[in-house]
Amino acid sequence: MTKQKFDYQSALEEIQAIVAEIEEGTPDVDQLAKKVKRAASLLKECQAKLKDTEATLDDILQNLDA
Amino acid sequence: MNSLSLKELNATIKSVLSKGLAPSYWVVAEISELRLNPTGHCYLELVEKQGQQVLAKTKATIWANTYSNLSLWFEKMTGSQLKPGMKILCNAAVQYHEVFGMSLNIRDIDASFTIGEKAANRQKTINQLTEDGVLTMNKELAVNVVLQNIAIISSTTAAGYEDFMQQLNNNAYGYHYQTRLYEAVMQGNTSAQSITDALHRIHEDDIDYDAIVVIRGGGSQIDLDSYDSYDLATHIAQFPVPILTGIGHERDESIADMVAHLSMKTPTAVAEFLIGTSADYERNLNECFQKINVMANQEIAMHQQNLARLTSQLTLSSKSLVLTKRHVFSALDTQLQRAVKYQLHDQSQLLNLLKHSLDILSPENILKRGYSMTTSNGQLIKKSSKLKKGDPLITETFDHIILSTVTEQKTKS
Repeated sequence: MTKQKFDYQSALEEIQAIVAEIEEGTPDVDQLAKKVKRAASLLKECQAKLKDTEATLDDILQNLDA
Repeated sequence: MNSLSLKELNATIKSVLSKGLAPSYWVVAEISELRLNPTGHCYLELVEKQGQQVLAKTKATIWANTYSNLSLWFEKMTGSQLKPGMKILCNAAVQYHEVFGMSLNIRDIDASFTIGEKAANRQKTINQLTEDGVLTMNKELAVNVVLQNIAIISSTTAAGYEDFMQQLNNNAYGYHYQTRLYEAVMQGNTSAQSITDALHRIHEDDIDYDAIVVIRGGGSQIDLDSYDSYDLATHIAQFPVPILTGIGHERDESIADMVAHLSMKTPTAVAEFLIGTSADYERNLNECFQKINVMANQEIAMHQQNLARLTSQLTLSSKSLVLTKRHVFSALDTQLQRAVKYQLHDQSQLLNLLKHSLDILSPENILKRGYSMTTSNGQLIKKSSKLKKGDPLITETFDHIILSTVTEQKTKS
């Protein structure tokens, strides 16, 4: 399975859109679970991406000092 | 015919001269030759020229007892030794010797005249370089941020060279410099030509040097006139690589210093400058790394906050939406229950009504009200029943059963 390349910014925008939608109460119950599930999964990916970025940065910057 | 011996003639000349001349004169002349004999006497030839044409020429001497003090003082004052090509103002007594002829005995030299002469020459050189349009050419060259590949013009015997190498190679930061020495004579009459030759060799090598360093130090403080020479200055000025000088002057800067990209007092100062340049660069880099570090961390922190905020926003809003939906649902539920209850109530009322109606119509109730019911052979006697005489009848009332027989039947009129 080829995983589509993760795009932090579009993920963030999607999450924001879902939150806005939910705040407005737009989705029906069938949609709600799906949307929250999608948003939560995106959030998880964003966090993982951020953590990964942080670790990479730390690594690079530490190597620079050496 | 009267005649004189040569000695007598020369004695006459000597006498005329000593009577007719002042004891001494201040004379401006150019030294065309100069030599010292082993006993310390200085023998000179003085000339006056107009261009290349010699207008006057005479021998001169500075006796050893005068010369030893005068030459030292002169060097100290002017920074130059007495030498051919130099113009001087000297106090001289005209001497005539029967054997050696006429010569000037120099008793004193006006150093300030020579200083002025040097300054004038120097200014002339500067003017010429300015007129050539080369005076600031080397200064205007763009310099690399870090100077690591260095050509050195010096002499291995110069103390300044060792100081320079030591300073550069043992720098506290551990920077490594690529250096290459181009040997040259660093003092004396030949130094200008020798340094110019070294510049030519550097040019021919075609190596991408970051800078050329001309250093000299620890040597004599005098006889640095070659660093004021037009030839050397014009080569330095027009050289396509920045030149740094550390010639070790204690006096005013030389013209070579003036046209160089940068001039420092000593070779050590040049080395410090090179190291300082590298250190500045490294500091700058480190500051950039620091900034990147801080900014990257800030950016990550900001994103983390953002994600946390989104997470709680998502949780809250979805829960609240579920709650809203639940309210709607429970309202519906209540409505439904109520509706069902009403409906059931209606139905049960209807059923009750029906039951009541049924009850009223039940045979038992009819009997209760005093009516009776008659059957024959298990069949209820109705309008259509055919009865014959003698058929048995069973009549049921509320509380009795009466047995009888058909005796007669008539049609109701």
